[in-house]
Amino acid sequence: MTTIFKQIIQFFLKWFAKVYLWRIKPHIIVIAGTTGRHWIKETVRDALKEKNFPVRVNKKNFNAEIGLPLSILDLASGEPRKLNSVELRGEGRFWRWLDILWQAAKRAFRSKPPVLKEFLVLEMAIDRPEGISYLLSIVKPQTLILTTITMIYAENFENLDEIALEYKKLIKALPWNGLAILNFDDERVKNLAESSDKRVISYGFSKEADFQVKNVRKVSDGQKLEISVNQRSNQRQSASIKLNRFGNHHVYAALVKEIIKESFKISAPDFFRQIRG
Amino acid sequence: MFVRTKNIKLSAIKQMELLASKIPDVVSLAQGIPSFDTPEIIKKAAVKALNRGVVAKYSLTYGLPELRETIEQKLAEENMYYDFEKEIIATAGSIEAITAALIAIIESYETKSRKIKNEVILFSPSYASYPEAIKVAGGQPVFVNLTEDKGWQIDLKNLAKKITNRTAAIIICNPNNPTGTIFPKEDLLKIAELVWKRKIFIICDEVYKDFIYADERGSETNLEADQRGSAFFSLAQIPQLRKIVIRVFSLSKAYAMTGWRIGFLHSDEENVSEIVKVHDSLVTCAPVISQYAAMAALDFADKEIEEFRQKYQERRDLICQHLDDLPELFSYQKPQGSYFVFPKIIQYKEVRPHKINRQFREVEPPKIKSTSWNFAIDLLNKAQVAVVPGLAFGPSGEGHIRMSFGRSEKDINEAMKRIKNYFTNDYYL
Repeated sequence: MTTIFKQIIQFFLKWFAKVYLWRIKPHIIVIAGTTGRHWIKETVRDALKEKNFPVRVNKKNFNAEIGLPLSILDLASGEPRKLNSVELRGEGRFWRWLDILWQAAKRAFRSKPPVLKEFLVLEMAIDRPEGISYLLSIVKPQTLILTTITMIYAENFENLDEIALEYKKLIKALPWNGLAILNFDDERVKNLAESSDKRVISYGFSKEADFQVKNVRKVSDGQKLEISVNQRSNQRQSASIKLNRFGNHHVYAALVKEIIKESFKISAPDFFRQIRG
Repeated sequence: MFVRTKNIKLSAIKQMELLASKIPDVVSLAQGIPSFDTPEIIKKAAVKALNRGVVAKYSLTYGLPELRETIEQKLAEENMYYDFEKEIIATAGSIEAITAALIAIIESYETKSRKIKNEVILFSPSYASYPEAIKVAGGQPVFVNLTEDKGWQIDLKNLAKKITNRTAAIIICNPNNPTGTIFPKEDLLKIAELVWKRKIFIICDEVYKDFIYADERGSETNLEADQRGSAFFSLAQIPQLRKIVIRVFSLSKAYAMTGWRIGFLHSDEENVSEIVKVHDSLVTCAPVISQYAAMAALDFADKEIEEFRQKYQERRDLICQHLDDLPELFSYQKPQGSYFVFPKIIQYKEVRPHKINRQFREVEPPKIKSTSWNFAIDLLNKAQVAVVPGLAFGPSGEGHIRMSFGRSEKDINEAMKRIKNYFTNDYYL
């Protein structure tokens, strides 16, 4: 795509996504950070489905300037469609993008709000300064999950602290009753909690975490672990679970799943009634 | 001097390609290269990475974390669960992965109390580079013949006899190159059962797993088969076997990326932490630009794979039709997967060595008398068609030739026309 063409597409997609969000008003959960977003997205979806909440998540890694509005509108750029007997496929094809814009306009203006309002779980990824500001101009989270801040995709940043400042904007963008779920094993993410005036639930191996994981053991077909929950009243509750996946990123995903289950305990209609005030 | 390498040969596939390159107007069905170019979406991702200035430096030895995370996601879709941080390595194609694994596995120092494990079992016929990779790693290849009259399936009794205290690993190419056989789940599980308690590794080379043809599962696409759970079976799907299974995959064939040299290996952390040391000393890391391209391939090129698979199926049917026209010359098993057919030469009159052109004598002939070698050389000499002699794939490959239908329909038609002429005009007399 040429730069001008890309900017035109980006502009229209952004506004169609905004119109859609304004009309449908889903509950937005944003997952940001440089690693592990995918697995957390999957478990957040599972947790909400277990509670019978209607939920939709990003397709594949559609998480940046063009992908994010496509995800909000539930459209994909790579799927072939036939238009006037011409197969349209992939990025860069003028007609394909015109078709996508037409579909986006239809979604924005014609979609009917579902009976139960939906949860929209969106990954956000940035690879340059001010990336978050642009994404926030499209969608603002009501719940934010922050994983880690590492050097992946960091070539356009001076250092990791600069990336942390970008993610700080996400916490600031939360509404007064918003929730930040932060990984306390990452020092920079943890520091963001200190400057936050929003509700924070922390997770990780760290003893300071509200949802702490302990005694992780690898077994032949997965991992066994213990999740200990700090109840604020200094009481800790713990539960043992088994995962059929390997690696710490799945442990983190399991912790976030428990937080989501704990945070959205009420039924879907009650939850949205509460939001509407 | 050169004690280790003097018995290692350039594979017959490469030798045939080398010879073919010197002959004008040759049609090659020898090398397993797809006729397609790399899909546009993958090339664009590589160009984007190049322009972002992120490809000039080494990646981590294991590979880019974001690529490995994508690989983990892709594996999970196929019910294989591996930790991208510790259990997946991006490699320079599959042969680097196999060689690194073999170097890590094969033992070199014998102690008084224990014999070294330096034998690696491979099936015959199977991929021509395995024996040389085993020798490079200081091991000893041990062949177990596949049973041709049972569709080139594994003879489990014969396999059991060949497993000894010296066996370090078994290599399984599935779908098999050059026969296109898909080994059934029951047989693979029986192999695992045979080696389970003896700490013998199973190296699963599954580079052709995306090219399984419709008659194997009706008209289902790969995606539909995945969703229905009837998809291709891999031993790496069994978590209890992860300590003995090392699985290798390459993007070369599936995504038409042979020149990019990119693939990956995964196994339990205990094995991967050893293999990565060899990988580091061999290549430091896989080519970084190719790692970015691989990320796009795994994320966005499923549709292209399906298109390739449909094309290869048409080409398989085409080459089989041509072979059906020559029943007195060749017999063959219809390949279930991969893009190779491995016909048996039924009628061929040997060419006396002095009749073979001088330039063809420059290549190193096999030490034993080989019909398939003589036929392949004579066919290249007189009909300008390159095929690979079956001997290259192990002793039981002798008497066969490997033909690739990864090439275009035009090449397949032209090659088969020349082969028909070669026989009808008695060129070989």
